[in-house]
Parts: sequence; C-alpha cells; structure tokens
Amino acid sequence: MTGQGSMNFIFGKEGALVIDVDMIQRQIDLTFAEINYLIRLMYATEDEHTKNLTLNQMWNKIAHLQFLNQLLVAASFPQEQVAIPIPNSPQTTLPDSTNTPVDNNQREFTREQLAQFTGMNGQPAYVAVNGVVYDVTNNAAWSVATHFGLSAGRDLTQEFASCHTGQQWILDTLVPVGRLIA
Amino acid sequence: MSEHPVLPPESTDNESVAARLAREAKRQVDQSTLKKKKLVYLELNGCSGNIISLLNGSNPDFEYMITSMVDLLYSNSLMAAEGEQAVQRLFDLADSEEEFILAVEGAVALKNKGMYHLVGKIGDRPVTGLEMAELLGKKATHVISVGACSVDGGPSAARPNLSQSVGLQRVLDRHIIKLPGCPVNPDWFLGTLAHLLMFGEPKLDDMNRPLMFYSTLIHDRCPRRPFFDQGIFAEKLGEPYCLFKVGCRGPVTRTDCPTRKWNDHVNWPIGASTCIGCAQFGFPDRMAPFISYDTTKE
Amino acid sequence: MARKIIINPVTRISGFLELDVTVENGVVSEARTRGMMFRGFEQMMKGRKPFDVIYLTQRICGICSTAHSVGSSLALEDALNVTVEEQGRYLRDIIHGCEFLQNHIRHFYQYSVPDYVKMPPDHPLFTSYDGDARLPKKDNDTIVNHYFESLAISRLAHQMLALFGGKAPHNHGVYVGGYTTPATAVKIIEAKSMLQKIRNFIVDRMIPDTYTISRYYPELFQMGKGPGNLMSCGAFHGYEALGTLYTEPLVFNSKTNKTSPFDADLITENINYSWYQGKKTYKPFETMPEPDMEKEDAYTWVKAPRYDGMAVEVGPLARLWLSGDYRNGISAMDRTIARSLEAAKVAGIIATLLDQVVPDYMVQKEWELPSSAQGAGLVETTRGTLGHWLKIEDGMISFYQIITPSAWDYSASDENSLGTAEQAVMGTTIADPEQPVELGRILRSFDPCMSCATHVSSPGQETKTIQVF
Repeated sequence: MTGQGSMNFIFGKEGALVIDVDMIQRQIDLTFAEINYLIRLMYATEDEHTKNLTLNQMWNKIAHLQFLNQLLVAASFPQEQVAIPIPNSPQTTLPDSTNTPVDNNQREFTREQLAQFTGMNGQPAYVAVNGVVYDVTNNAAWSVATHFGLSAGRDLTQEFASCHTGQQWILDTLVPVGRLIA
Repeated sequence: MSEHPVLPPESTDNESVAARLAREAKRQVDQSTLKKKKLVYLELNGCSGNIISLLNGSNPDFEYMITSMVDLLYSNSLMAAEGEQAVQRLFDLADSEEEFILAVEGAVALKNKGMYHLVGKIGDRPVTGLEMAELLGKKATHVISVGACSVDGGPSAARPNLSQSVGLQRVLDRHIIKLPGCPVNPDWFLGTLAHLLMFGEPKLDDMNRPLMFYSTLIHDRCPRRPFFDQGIFAEKLGEPYCLFKVGCRGPVTRTDCPTRKWNDHVNWPIGASTCIGCAQFGFPDRMAPFISYDTTKE
Repeated sequence: MARKIIINPVTRISGFLELDVTVENGVVSEARTRGMMFRGFEQMMKGRKPFDVIYLTQRICGICSTAHSVGSSLALEDALNVTVEEQGRYLRDIIHGCEFLQNHIRHFYQYSVPDYVKMPPDHPLFTSYDGDARLPKKDNDTIVNHYFESLAISRLAHQMLALFGGKAPHNHGVYVGGYTTPATAVKIIEAKSMLQKIRNFIVDRMIPDTYTISRYYPELFQMGKGPGNLMSCGAFHGYEALGTLYTEPLVFNSKTNKTSPFDADLITENINYSWYQGKKTYKPFETMPEPDMEKEDAYTWVKAPRYDGMAVEVGPLARLWLSGDYRNGISAMDRTIARSLEAAKVAGIIATLLDQVVPDYMVQKEWELPSSAQGAGLVETTRGTLGHWLKIEDGMISFYQIITPSAWDYSASDENSLGTAEQAVMGTTIADPEQPVELGRILRSFDPCMSCATHVSSPGQETKTIQVF
C-alpha cells in the first residue's frame, strides 16, 4: 500500500546523487492531485472501511510528499550532506539526539555504572549491545524506558541477538554514547 | 438494436466521479455471491469480552452476521440451548463431514489436563476447552484466533499463569489466522470473516495477522505524532501531547486504531489515555508498565 | 425417587457455570453451583506496578470490565490518599453508568429473553427446547423484533462509554482521580443525544417487554427467592451537591427484618467448602489463601463471602429494594423486572450527572506512590457489590483481593448456610425433569458472571453432594 520507493535517483560520477528537480516537481504535482482525489473520495463514501483505507492512503501520500520535499531540500544544497530520513521507519529517534558529541562514544561504562542509567528520575536510559552503550531515552520503542518487558541500564546483547537476528540496521539508528567494559 | 441508449453527459467533476466509483464498489460487494458457511464460536479461558466486542460491530452488525454471513452453530454467551444438548452439537459437528469455520476466543488452559477450564459436560464427563480446541481445530476449514488470549495466552497467561494458559497455536499444529487485541475490534473479526467468505483468506503478515488491519504502526498514524517529533511530552494523563513518557505502547503496536477507532468509530484508547499494546504479542507482561510518572523527560 | 441433574454449560451468561441438583418428588432437594474456569487474577497482580491494575483487572470480565476499573481506582485512591474531586466522580460514574445500560439491555434481550420467547427457528443459534414458550404469537414476534433492535441500543451504550473512556470493553478512561481525559462540550451533547435514544428504548420497549413476559410466567414470582438478605455498599450516592441519586449503603437482614447501615468491616470470606488452605474465615486484608485441590469436603473453588456471617443477595433487586423503589417481592421474576427498571433509573442518573459535567476540566496529576500503603475500593456495579483490596510494598503491589458480585450470589456453602443462588434453587418445583427450564431461569435472574468469580472445577468430585435440611 505504501507509495514510496518509486523515486528516480540518478547517480552521477563517483556515485554522487544527482537529483532531477523537474521530475520531483512533477511527482509533487501528481501527489497533490491524488491527495485531492482522496479527500473527495472520503466525502463520497459512506462505508467506514473504505473511509479508513482512504485515510491510510492519504497518510502514505503525505509521507511521500514529505520525502519529495526532503529531496528538493537536498537538491537546493548539494554541497551539504543532508540525511534523508525514511518516513515510517519503525525505530525513529528524535532529531536532537543526533547532536551528541562524538567523543562521548569513547566514554567507558562498567556494568555497575550502566545500571544507573535506567531512564527514571532524571537519568537517561542506556542499554548495551555487543559492547556498545546506546542512548534509548527518546527511542520510540522504549516507552517509559522499557521495551517488551526489558528495562534500561542493562547489557542486552543476548536479548538483541534472540529477537533481532539480522537486523543490524536497528543499532545503526541508535545513538552510541560509549563502550561497555568488563 | 446494437446502440446503447443515449444518456445525458455525466458530470465529470471529482466529487461525481468519486461518488460513482463508491456506488459501483458497493453494488459489486452487494452482488458478490456471499456463500453462507457454518461458524463455531468457541469461548475458552478468558473474559468473553471478544464476543461482547463482536456485538458492538456495525456494518456488518451481529444481526447481519447471523442472518446473511454465517450459520452460527455455537456460542456459550448467546445460544439458546444449554447443558449436554449444547455441547453434544460440537461432537456431532466433529463427527459429520460438514465444513465449518472455527473462531476461538480465550486461552487454552493446560493445567491439570485442561481441567482449569471446562466447556461443558456430557453426562458426568467433563469436556475441557483443551479437548474441544484440539477436536474442532483439526476439522475446521479455517481457524481464527480472536483476541489476545487466543493468540498467545494474553491476560489469561499473565505471570504467574497458575492455569498454565497458552495460545491456541500451542495446541494446534495448523495454519491459524491471528487477530490480536484485547478485545478484538469488531471490524477486525467481521472484516476477516467477510473476506474469508467472499474472497478466501486475506493477505497475512509473517505472524499470520491480516495486513488490512494490522499493517501499520500506531505511532506512524497517531494524531499526536507531531508532538513526539518535536519532543513535546505529556507529564500526566489527560494532556493532549505525546504520551510516550507516561507509557504509551503505540510505537511498538501495529493496528489501524488511529484511523479506524472503536465503538462505531467514536474514540480510541489514545483519545483517553495511553495505548497499552493490547494488540501486540506478549501483552500484558511484555507491554508493562502501562503507566509511569518517573520517566526521565529531559 | 431422587434424580440427579447436571446442567453444564449454563449458557447465556458471561463465563462458565455448572449447576448440579438432586430432584426428589419433583422438588429440588440438593443444589450446588460451580464455576468452571480459573485464571488467578489476584495472584497476577502481585509484583506489578500499582497503576497497571486499573487496566489489567478489567480483563477479568468482558461484560463488566468498567466495574473493575472503578473498583481498582477506588482502592488505589484509598492507598494513595487521593481525594477525588466531584467532577472526577461525575464523569467516572457516567462512564460506569453506561456499562449498566449496556449490561442490562444485553442481559435482558440476549441472555434472558430466549428463556421465555420462541426465537426464530431458522437460525441454529436459537434452536433449543421451546416447549414452554407461552407467549401468544403477536407478543412473541414483538419481543423477537426487539431482540434484534436492542443490538443497536446496547451498542450505543458502549459507544457512549467509549466517547469518554476511549473504547469498550476494557476502557482507558476510568483512573485515579476519576477520569483521564476531560469531556468536551461536543462530547457532552453527543452523549445526551445517545442517552435519549437509549432511555426511550428502555422505557418504550424493554420495561413493557419485561412485564409482558412476567404475565405469562406468574409462577416465577414464587421461585428463586434465596436467603432474602440484601446488600448494597451504596450506588450513585453521597454527592456533595446532588446528595444520593440511588441507594445508600444499606443491608437488609431477612431474619430480623431490619435494615442497617452497610459496614465493610463485617465482610468475611469463608473457605470451608472451597479448595483453599489457610485460615477458615478471614477478612479481605488478612490473607490470600493458597489453593489446595486435595482438600476433604471441599467441592468448589468459589470462596464464600459473607456479611456478618450471612449469605446475601446483591444486584439490581437488592439496590431497588434498599432504595425503596421496588418492593414487590424477592424472586426470579422480581429480579428480572428490577434489572429492567434499574436500567431506566440509571439512565436518569446519567442524565442528571451529564448536566453537572464541566467541559475541559482536568483532574489528572502526576500521582505519587507511597513505598508502602494499603487501600480498599468498594463499588456497586451492574451485578452488585464489588470490592478490591490491595497492598503496596516497595512501590509494587504485594497483595490483591477481589470479591466480585457473582462471588456473593454464586458463593459456596459455609458451615451455616448454602450460597445465595444455591438457596434460590432449593425447593424449586420442576415440572418436567427432562427439561428443567426453571433452573436456568432462576440462575440467569442473578445475571451470573463466572469470568468474574474466578473458580476452578475438579474431576472426581462429581458424586459428592452436600446434604441440606
């Protein structure tokens, strides 16, 4: 049902991303037309199920617009590295958590120290996987610093391996804050 | 006479086109041959809340379901017959060659060979939920697990799980359509049933949930999502901001609640409080705590 | 000649129930009610975060889940020393009131009506013995039509509940402090409009249908009396500005023929004939008895709650009797009539409360948990008096006790008397032992909810009976 993924990327020399602005403009016009059509369909249908499907399609179209918009921004500032967020990624972190200073990655934690970072009472929520300590304080999947019965402040290497085999990308979306020692 | 009758030109503005398409879709649905099948609705170890939720269904509603969609053979909550003559029907059905769909709500209690939950008795002989789930589960053309308890034990299996309750799949080695939720939204059950009757099995995800209801993360369709993205969090219930810091499980739960809503589409859990992940596997133990006030809010 | 009758399952109730009776010379001489499911919700609460019990205890019951959210919220408020504002009470009681409407309409039409009315035979759901369907065709057809019409109305009651509570069953709106999200002006008007439709249906359809049925089954006014002791911990009562809209906390003792104020301290549970080990009689806060299936003389896992040592009846008839609104008699048919009348009464109370609700009024706070505390929450619910008792230690639930209305009405025997429903069935004249329709009618008049009365059945005990009289 999702409408993403049909974007035209053109890779130039050295693999640099070259963005066809005209193509994006046409896509945006088309998406707007589709959204307009969906709005009218919502008025026309009396069936709740169809209405619900239409509403979902509209969400997808709007996510698509957002994506196109990001591309346009990227095209306007080609010299900057603009991260293009993937809409609807299940593990979205807050934008401001990416501003963590890089040298924090070198901070060392013992298990006892890690256990302080429970995400409660003013402490951030940290978890360790494969020796790396990550900040999950504002990670959507860690509401009230718990995740499927697991709590923060622990080494969750085994739990990660048993539930997220082959999903290394999850770790790539997390913010590393240091290393677990011993 | 090969010509078609000449009609005045139809209006081609967007509203009219959309209205015509909607009418046509409805006509096709109305005309499609809805083949009535037999349905057994088995209530096992649980709160019988899914059948109550089912009564909350509208379009189709319960009356339409039993008059036009299925022949409902058995429901502990609703059937007129009782005692042995009620239970005997299930055995007769299992002995016959009749085709039927089996919907099961509640968990299967394993403790004491299933004696922690009885469906009924034949004479003096207790008939356990476990026995009936296995007997009918093997014979049914389709099996639907309705609600959290039937899907993976749910609240009936919450620790310390004294009744040793498990989901239906644990005692039934066959393909089962799973409709998690506590309770199930009536549309999820009736929609799945309608799809089965009209077009066969709906598309399922890798956990056997129908994609048409369970494909989207609540968090991605939540009207409060902009607050999350900007880091504006509610500190207590009742505030209109993102409830992530008080315990909302919308970011880990996949249902269409934000758009479909509940009870004739008037409201939904996040319209009142947090999502507690009732349609996620592992509810309730792995979705706890539901509400907490001491989370770091930064 | 004595003859043993087992009805299992007793259908058209919430949950699973068995009735064992012995009939001698056409009269019931021994009776035993037994629940047939066990989940152990009290034990489940131990070790959980205190606020989680509001949403988790609701899962005890699909038809009366709001009751448990109110009971647990009251118990937490007691433990946390929270004073609830009147606005908090109003909206919470409105949400709870919607459950009364939903439950009573469904219980009457979907659960009770098929006992008396010949349902359309073309649906397999309705095929059963109907040799005692006495209504003339015209009346019969009218009530069958209302059976289907009522589906939209009970649905509307849940819709109204969801308007303020998020969803139903298992709402998210009842909480410490009253409610979670404030009502808005639009929602209040929506609720009023829904309420009007529901109220009209109750007054124009449900109550007349109840009386129609009662005219053709007059013998049920003489059946299913039970102990005649009536109890209520107070329903929709003691509002600051409104006073009492329904029943004060009262208990009627049938032996002394006296009504006295309800005192929660007189509640005990007895496990003499129940599959539990521990102190034989205890108060709710004292102990959570350990299960013991090998216990001699025990026949059920239902405990025996008693008030001042008495088996009591709780529910709509008890409430209407104690409030003075209905005193025709105590019987299976009076119970059924009381439920329909109470639906109208509660609809009126909701209308009064809706007029008091201030839109957009916040009652929620960041509630503080004491490291140790205890609290009790007693509330009148659809089926009668519900009690939740909890203790908190180290910020976690360390003890949980629940006594449900169906545990009162379907209680086990103790040394002195049978349980309430058991007494109600005793002495009943069975016209045709092959089709003992009287028994189901009496049992259902209490609106049993066996999902709530968490019990278990055991094999090998089928031949044991308790000798009475």
